[in-house]
Amino acid sequence: MTVTRRLLLSAAGAALIVMPVMTEAQNLPRNIRMVIGSSSTGGDTYQNASILADALSEHLGVNVRVDPVGASEAFKALARDSRGTTIMMHHDQSYLQELYGVEGSPDIFEEFTVGPTISVNPGNAYLVPADSPYQTIEDVLAAAEAGERVRVAIQPGGVSEIGFTAMRNAARMSAPGSEDNIVPVNTGDQADKNQAMWDDLADVINGSIQANEQFTQLPENDPTAMRFVWITATPETLNQAPEAGLGETDRAEMLSFAAPEVSVPMTEEEDFTFDKEFFLMFNIETDPALVEAIDTAMGEIYAEGEIQQRFLDAFFTPQYRPMAEAQEHLRAKNDDYETIISELKSE
Amino acid sequence: MDNLTRVTIDFQTSHLIFPIMIAVLLGLLGLAILVRDRAAILGSGRMWAATFREMDKPRFLGTLALTVVYFLLMVPVGNIWPNTGYGFLICSVPYVIVLGLLFMHERTPAKLGAMLAVALVAPPLIWWLFSEVFFLTLP
Amino acid sequence: MDLLAHLIDPWFLGLIFGGTLMGIMFGAIPGMTATMAVAVCLPLTFPLGLVNSLALLLSLYVGGITGGLVPAILLGIPGTPSSITTTFDGFPMAKRGEGERALKIAIVASVVGGLVSLVALYFFAPVLAQFAIKFSYVEKFLIIFFALTVMAALSSDMLLGIFSGVLGIFLSLVGTYDITNGGNGHTRLIPPGMEYWLDGGFALLPVLIGIFGVTVILEEAEIGMPRGQSLKDIEVGPHSRFSFSVFRGQWLNLIRSGGIGTFVGILPGVGGSAASILSYTAAKTTSRHPERFGKGEPAGVIASEAGNNGLTGGALVPLLSLGIPGDSTTALLIGAFALQGIQVGPLFIGQNAETWNAMIVAMLLSNLVMLVTMFFAIRWFAMVIAVPKQILYPFILMMCVIGAYTINYGIIFDVWTLLIFGLFGWLMAKLRLEVAPFIIGFILGPSAEIYFVKSLESFGDLTIFFTKSWIAVVLWILIAASVAGSIAISRRNARMISPSA
Repeated sequence: MTVTRRLLLSAAGAALIVMPVMTEAQNLPRNIRMVIGSSSTGGDTYQNASILADALSEHLGVNVRVDPVGASEAFKALARDSRGTTIMMHHDQSYLQELYGVEGSPDIFEEFTVGPTISVNPGNAYLVPADSPYQTIEDVLAAAEAGERVRVAIQPGGVSEIGFTAMRNAARMSAPGSEDNIVPVNTGDQADKNQAMWDDLADVINGSIQANEQFTQLPENDPTAMRFVWITATPETLNQAPEAGLGETDRAEMLSFAAPEVSVPMTEEEDFTFDKEFFLMFNIETDPALVEAIDTAMGEIYAEGEIQQRFLDAFFTPQYRPMAEAQEHLRAKNDDYETIISELKSE
Repeated sequence: MDNLTRVTIDFQTSHLIFPIMIAVLLGLLGLAILVRDRAAILGSGRMWAATFREMDKPRFLGTLALTVVYFLLMVPVGNIWPNTGYGFLICSVPYVIVLGLLFMHERTPAKLGAMLAVALVAPPLIWWLFSEVFFLTLP
Repeated sequence: MDLLAHLIDPWFLGLIFGGTLMGIMFGAIPGMTATMAVAVCLPLTFPLGLVNSLALLLSLYVGGITGGLVPAILLGIPGTPSSITTTFDGFPMAKRGEGERALKIAIVASVVGGLVSLVALYFFAPVLAQFAIKFSYVEKFLIIFFALTVMAALSSDMLLGIFSGVLGIFLSLVGTYDITNGGNGHTRLIPPGMEYWLDGGFALLPVLIGIFGVTVILEEAEIGMPRGQSLKDIEVGPHSRFSFSVFRGQWLNLIRSGGIGTFVGILPGVGGSAASILSYTAAKTTSRHPERFGKGEPAGVIASEAGNNGLTGGALVPLLSLGIPGDSTTALLIGAFALQGIQVGPLFIGQNAETWNAMIVAMLLSNLVMLVTMFFAIRWFAMVIAVPKQILYPFILMMCVIGAYTINYGIIFDVWTLLIFGLFGWLMAKLRLEVAPFIIGFILGPSAEIYFVKSLESFGDLTIFFTKSWIAVVLWILIAASVAGSIAISRRNARMISPSA
């Protein structure tokens, strides 16, 4: 499908010169650039963006190109272009990095228009070496409470850190002061986090179902073998994943590592959960009609029901929330996490 | 003795450690060069004078000026037709032509023809390939 | 069986042939890289199915890495970052009329490097991956340090050369201490007022093509665009006839360089360009005539090209046995697997024997296609020298702009970086600073920082660099040998040339 469209486009490329800049129907730009908050074309952000971009191109009859320029450049590009010819796609990292005080992070709720949500990557997980004494994340919290130092490898300042913050918050709730026994090992990408485990620099690492599942299937005597101890996604999200799961780990097994089966309390009543959600952002001055046209188009695309399968095939959970609902939802998420982050920081 | 080699790194300021080390090293090396080559450095005025005297100024400065103008114009021109790559296309053709004229020695019709043919064919071809086939964003 | 079915599948074979050719073209055009070739073709491969899309992407990779040698030798402009060290000896050879010989040597070395790495990949991937994870921050830092020692060896004036190299490291640190590499996300070394442009630092590719491509053109403009070489100059004469006898005594170099390239590929994070730099360093360190390096020594071309092609198989080792890419190009392949719904990780090879075999066959065939087509195409490559400069140079500048702008998917500052470093390269030549150590410092600087700082952060003791493991000790011996070698060369040079101020 993609190919036919692109090949046609390339053949007709020269003819484009005479075409108008705007399409007649919705007053949408003919060429839309979707910048994303990742600079990798192999990552989950790019995959989700290209699934959406393909669907939007086809549905609206416009060109949507995905440019993985990275968060910092993406925010710049979005801020420069108020005509709606540039839109941005990113995930929870975009507000988390601001909450964590990463240099140069904008407040997306103030400086941009937060748009509809697209999908969820349910894979955010924490793992331990196969021969670790910890069976679940609850053991880790108990160990911290008992005064044991637990080192957790994360990439600071965002999605990878939020689960770690939740662990510290839970430790603080059950035994104030014990959160200091949960210490970060600041590493970079997944390769670095795995290596930190193998070098015995970390007792627990942040990882993902997609990247680490095969390591959990290795024989226990393999020096690289790992075990899941915690999957942060909500049960609702995991329940939408294919029943066969991923690799050798089926959905039931995944659910056994997630809330409510394992509990990392966020408040007295509520368990902490984290869904890594992808959503759109627009320049704040972009014509609301144009933003609405994209939101409506997405509603129609999801109603057709084809896009869902594409997300599921790549082990993502489709999760469309219309713009108004999405804004409310993301802000609520932001506020929840802000509370635990700032409470831990203030001490 | 053991304590001498112990170091604790504060993650929050760890972005400065290596740059400072390298800056110090760079400074020391610079100083060593200043001391060793002081005669040559003092005499560098003559070197620059000679450089500018012997320079093919129209070609050198022309290349620089044309390139700056080319880079400056590409984005605003491209912004007229967002995300189409026309900025690159429209600016590249004259740039290649003028630069070609500047670099040419005997401007014979045959040479002019060859250069013009390349200047008119290459940028659109490249634009088509990258913008339309490879689907990349151009200015 | 299944494998045979691929061998007679015209699609499979056609994609390998086409992919290799297209890769060579991408590699051969300054500013375009193997990574870019794979990136632009990736979205086109989804309907092809896993085996066929891998055949195409791997051929692009092999072709792209190899193609970089053509402009490196003929124009002194590396076509891809991994062919920088090829310019050091390849271009001097071309200038003295041995262009064709240099090309042939480089092509053969490339194929041998590629084959060495394929053998390593096919037979030892899991073992090598287990060995690679023994390299912690400390060992990785020492590897980078060893590669950096070549700066001294490449300098004609040791003091100025090392200064240039350290300056390269310094400039590579400008911008953000990258969180995804393990940094803390803070910026440093940015001149006031430049934060908006420089928070991402200077990107490697624009710096590279600026300092090689734009600088060469500026220097030629400065002296009034003298007429270039003609085809006659590189005509094979008795002085430059290629025969396999140049490889006599070089087999060790070939295998070692291919092996080093493979090994650098296996270490995630050390980076693709380090492969050729390291094998070049090793060749120079162990050579009986280290003083000939950088002046047109075939052994240098061999080391560089066998090294960068060795990378191709090596970088697939961690990808297919740990699910971790070995360099930026193989990182793109993860996307290809993910969209076909195939997991890569420690179980991949066992669970996907057919795909695995097909990948090996594809790379093997691609190496052979590359050998044959490049040998036949040498005549046409050589014609690039005869293209009048008024046509060639504006075209190269335009391609550099495309390369710089698209490398990070549309950042205009990368285009300005091109010009800034083009001018900077011109200035460096005037100040007698040296480009080769500068660029090596610039390439390796960020890794040196992260591994150095992380080593201390994790282990908290300076002695860790010596006591971490036996691997560290071996690396220190290599570093010492390289430094001693450089000092010996510089002494010898100092004795030969009478000092002048």
